[in-house]
Amino acid sequence: MSVTTQRGGAGNGAVERAPGGGSSSLADVVALILDKGLVIDIFVRVSLVGIEILTIDARIVVASVDTYLRFAEATNRLDLYEKGGKDLPELVQSITEGGAKGKTTGVIEAAADAVGDMLARGREEREEVRRPVRQRPRERQE
Amino acid sequence: MMETDAVKPTYVYGLMRADTTLPEGLAGLGPSGRVTTIVHGPLAAIVSDVPVGRPLGMRGDLVAHETVLDAVAGRAAVVPMRFPAVVEEHAVVDELLAPNEDRFLTLLDGLENRIQFTLTGRYEQDAVLREILEGDPEIAGLREKIRSLPEDATYYHRVRLGELVVQALEDRRDVEAADIVDRLGPFAVTIASNPLGAPEDVVNTAFLVERKRRREFEDAVESVGKALAGRIRLRLLGPVAPYDFVDEE
Repeated sequence: MSVTTQRGGAGNGAVERAPGGGSSSLADVVALILDKGLVIDIFVRVSLVGIEILTIDARIVVASVDTYLRFAEATNRLDLYEKGGKDLPELVQSITEGGAKGKTTGVIEAAADAVGDMLARGREEREEVRRPVRQRPRERQE
Repeated sequence: MMETDAVKPTYVYGLMRADTTLPEGLAGLGPSGRVTTIVHGPLAAIVSDVPVGRPLGMRGDLVAHETVLDAVAGRAAVVPMRFPAVVEEHAVVDELLAPNEDRFLTLLDGLENRIQFTLTGRYEQDAVLREILEGDPEIAGLREKIRSLPEDATYYHRVRLGELVVQALEDRRDVEAADIVDRLGPFAVTIASNPLGAPEDVVNTAFLVERKRRREFEDAVESVGKALAGRIRLRLLGPVAPYDFVDEE
């Protein structure tokens, strides 16, 4: 889910570790706290105290043709016989370069404007904030 | 805190027992930067002032909410409120703590000596695509066909190929996630699964773990991660406050 990588805790283990405490990426924070936690109805009446609250608007991003083309390309670039020992360095390299990394075509994008100052932080950061809704995304099949 | 007649908005991070001490050096999201408590009987609300002159919900507000709760969770049971929780100051006792005392104490009991970890996992793309190609004649055939044709003649074939691959990823990840969760379940008190985003995502599950079994759990995750290395990359976030475990059924 996250693009950011942090290594902490146990160090060189097989599992990447991210500490809590807000020190990890914004994507972690958003995924961790949004729509989580105890809901008490008195907090719904926030307008009574005159505080403006940015709406956290979750938009559904339907799995798109772009997603399909990305996976088709990754599949087409794959050298099936790489494991079999064929020595094709330039092809291996093109697979590595073509590996679609970091392009999160998540089903849900937590609206960037929900997290106000993030807007100024550029596209990379906004991509990080994409997160799924609690509902299993199957819109594509409808 | 200064007393005024005006309505005084208060931010509530979460709840803890009144005998829990707040960690030093917490940074609140309000202009004072302070985090304090409002105590009522056996309960305490963890509170601060709120931003003035700007809306609540900026990046720093989210980070402060999590930082404060994780810090308290590091030493004692805490019930996180859903972000953003703002209420008039007097209501913290009158409408939040006093009327819900039993309910909140029950929640705290269930979280005593327990912490949350969230485990996410992603396929290593090339490895999983290779598995899919080798195991699915239709996908392999379509791929060969696309390779035999000029690119501008294959648009719809490529869309179809991608759709089949995405479908195959989604089919197999459910099985893999169940297997991962099965192997870690014995080390947790409760688990809560979150929905997945991108097609490469395999698992996103929160585990509520006894503090004294933390090391055991982490070792088990590491061992699962080793077994999956090269196919699935695991990432373990935590320990954090029990955000996924305060839903009352």
